[in-house]
Amino acid sequence: MNVLYFLVPLAVLLATVGVAAFMWAVRNGQFDDVETPAIRMLLDDEEEGVRKPDNAMK
Amino acid sequence: MPTATAHRTGTEITPDTPCVHCGLPVGRYPVGDGPYFCCTGCRVVFQALHTAGFDETFYRLRDLAPAHTAIRPAQTAVDDLKLFELDTDAFLENQTQPVGDGIRSVELFLDGVHCAACVWLVERLPYEVAGVLEARLDLPRARLTLHFDPERAKLTEVARWLAQFGYVAHPSRQQGMTRRTEAERRLLIRLGICWMLAANVMLFAFALYAGLDTTNDASLATAARWASLALATVAVVYGGSEFFRRSWASMKLAVRVRNFRSLHIDTPISLGLLAGFGHSAWATISGRGDVWFDSITVLIAALLTARWLQLRSRRLAGDATERLLSLLPSMTRRVRADDSLEITRLEDVQPRDLIEVPAGEVFPVDGVIESGNSTVNNAVLTGESRPVAVAPGMTVEAGATNLSAPLRVRVQAAGAETRVGKLLAWIRSQKTQQAPVVLLADQLSGYFVLGVLVLASITAVVWLSLAPSEALPHVVALLVISCPCALGMATPLAMAVASGRAARASIFIKSDEATQQLTAVDTVVLDKTGTLTEGRMTLLDYDGDDDAIDLAAALETHSNHPIATALVQARVACGLDGKTPDLPQVEAFEAIAGEGLRGWVNECDVAVGRPAWITELTGPLPPAFEEKLAGYAGQGHTPVAVAVDGRCAAVLAFGDRLRDASKTVIEALQASGKEVYLLSGDHDAVVQAVAETLGLPSAQAFGNVSPEQKRTFVTTLRHSQQRTVAMIGDGVNDAAALQEADVGVAVQGGSTPSLVAADVFLTREGLTPVATLLTGTKRVMRVIRRNLGFSLAYNILGAGAAMLGLITPLAAAVAMPLSSLVVVISSIIQRPFASSTNPPDAL
Repeated sequence: MNVLYFLVPLAVLLATVGVAAFMWAVRNGQFDDVETPAIRMLLDDEEEGVRKPDNAMK
Repeated sequence: MPTATAHRTGTEITPDTPCVHCGLPVGRYPVGDGPYFCCTGCRVVFQALHTAGFDETFYRLRDLAPAHTAIRPAQTAVDDLKLFELDTDAFLENQTQPVGDGIRSVELFLDGVHCAACVWLVERLPYEVAGVLEARLDLPRARLTLHFDPERAKLTEVARWLAQFGYVAHPSRQQGMTRRTEAERRLLIRLGICWMLAANVMLFAFALYAGLDTTNDASLATAARWASLALATVAVVYGGSEFFRRSWASMKLAVRVRNFRSLHIDTPISLGLLAGFGHSAWATISGRGDVWFDSITVLIAALLTARWLQLRSRRLAGDATERLLSLLPSMTRRVRADDSLEITRLEDVQPRDLIEVPAGEVFPVDGVIESGNSTVNNAVLTGESRPVAVAPGMTVEAGATNLSAPLRVRVQAAGAETRVGKLLAWIRSQKTQQAPVVLLADQLSGYFVLGVLVLASITAVVWLSLAPSEALPHVVALLVISCPCALGMATPLAMAVASGRAARASIFIKSDEATQQLTAVDTVVLDKTGTLTEGRMTLLDYDGDDDAIDLAAALETHSNHPIATALVQARVACGLDGKTPDLPQVEAFEAIAGEGLRGWVNECDVAVGRPAWITELTGPLPPAFEEKLAGYAGQGHTPVAVAVDGRCAAVLAFGDRLRDASKTVIEALQASGKEVYLLSGDHDAVVQAVAETLGLPSAQAFGNVSPEQKRTFVTTLRHSQQRTVAMIGDGVNDAAALQEADVGVAVQGGSTPSLVAADVFLTREGLTPVATLLTGTKRVMRVIRRNLGFSLAYNILGAGAAMLGLITPLAAAVAMPLSSLVVVISSIIQRPFASSTNPPDAL
């Protein structure tokens, strides 16, 4: 049972990593709109030769 | 939805044929003669898409995915004043944010987006307008985020590009929306952390319930309890601070005003949390007694979840209110000393300034007309559907629309000092005075925690005296099984899901209280203009020569008068460009103020106008026409006569037409035992005629009612007759009554004060959504009662069984999440606002 002294803190640590990722996602606005991305998947990629935006966004 | 191609070359055309662009029925006078459209707006957009080569992809995508929001015909009108604001330095400074490299980001509201095709088209912006780097559309909120280079791209260019496809862009008033988004994100993060803590505390708790205790592995058990304490401390301090702060504030208030009813709903929750945490913490430190950190942390997480869901479900209503507020004019044309015009911000306009208001625009201020003759539509202010003629020296009020000719107005009051502004201020102050609604379930779950603590002590005492060794597991089972998270989530979750569903049916419910009140409504008070009727002049009936009416319509394309517009619309369709080739050519015309129009059309001398004026031109009218005209006047319609070459050829009746659904909805309301009243500022004769058509007794219909009288009427119904009143209206004149009623419902096209005052507003036309709303809220309340009943029964039965020693702690721990799951599923599967008019949607 002694392995629990190691495993349980590890589980808490992993959960903390998960929460950190979640916080990043929320601050990045990933959860602000959860419906339009589902629609965006239907749109085709632009074909070759079509003018691209001047520079992509960071 | 029908495919676009199937109807493009349809030979048979019925009023039900779908418009090729928007899919709504084309009606009796379709536009175009190959592909058919419901209005010129749709035709213009269809042609613009075709010219740009977007049509194939656009219509394919549109048919691929179901529409997301209620569809409306395309609008291609561009408001130049509004556009002007987009390019001002003040706008660039206040409403856009820098994102680096001289690039700025801005948020715009887009009217008219409703499906995948719209997302595709709008997000092509970077390819089409130079200087736009990225466009992202948030479809449910109709919000477009643009990254652009102010040096190279003008926002007016963007707005014009969007407008040619029927999307109207409005500058969003950033502050409110950003604040809401921020609050939502903060709560979401808090929520994530609290669930993570709760999940880990549950892990320890499962081990402890499963039999790990100080007798078999003292050090591990102690470690688990201390670890739970550490995690729970974070949850209580960080997650629970929401509840503590509010309950502390309400306690201070309660002590100051010596009234315990001002205690906030968070107070019992806070007490329960603190008592449970304090006891568990002491048990951990002293090494004796039980811990129930898991119940506390899960409760915090569950309550935060419910709160977040509520916040998120209301954001649609909040956004929609803001979008409507953004429609208010914010710029105006001021006349300089040298008689030239400058476009200026409305805040900078002072009393005594002179402003110019072109035909078709809304007066932004209260003032006196300095020069110009025109007609003004006061429907928004008074409910009167007939336009009023105005001349220099007469006053006009903010909110009225200038109809026929430009006017110069000397400002008397601007902004908050106008009559409309004062009304808005009154309504806002009323809103804050309303007592906070105490939600039954929140209160219950708070007291529940306290009650459980008492029960736990009783159980402990009783079992210690009966069988000391069994006392501990029974107390633990009781504490676990009576965790009130299902109870705490039952109401908010059902409400949140319901308001999301309602928003998809174009119904925006601002508060949960309104949902509850709507089910108790036994009296419905209706406004006439714009609510029961379409709120604009329409051709209702005519008699005489069809060709003469075509000649008259051709002549009327040169006038802005509402009757002229109505005639042209009826003859052509909703003409935005007005000059359609289908009508005969007008060679000359003149407008005779207050009488009508006269001119040469197709080599005929045509006159259209008031019957008395036509009589002057032609001599006595034929008796058949005289009879018709008398009939029109009796029904409250506005009669018009047409003379061709000195002979009266046709008579027409114009009026505010009843919406198609009005009669059925009113009959349904009456059938369900509600009393229906009709109040209007319009002439009594018109109101009585409408009431008769609708089958309302004349004793329940009142004309010439002022806004103040409307409010008093509602007050009397509520207080003297103890009725629960729903007021349904749209105008400024209804705002006070909407505020006064138990539930105020503002309908599509309503004015700003009425939208602020209302508890519910509808963005689909007519009364059909009202019927959906009333049946829908009944269903929501049924779901809530089901949820509450289930979770209470579960908790009471569970607690009873645990006290009697029938349940093991482990079984209780398994049953707890199951009960929450049942409540969640029961809330999510509800479809309260689904009706045959809405396509079934998948959430």
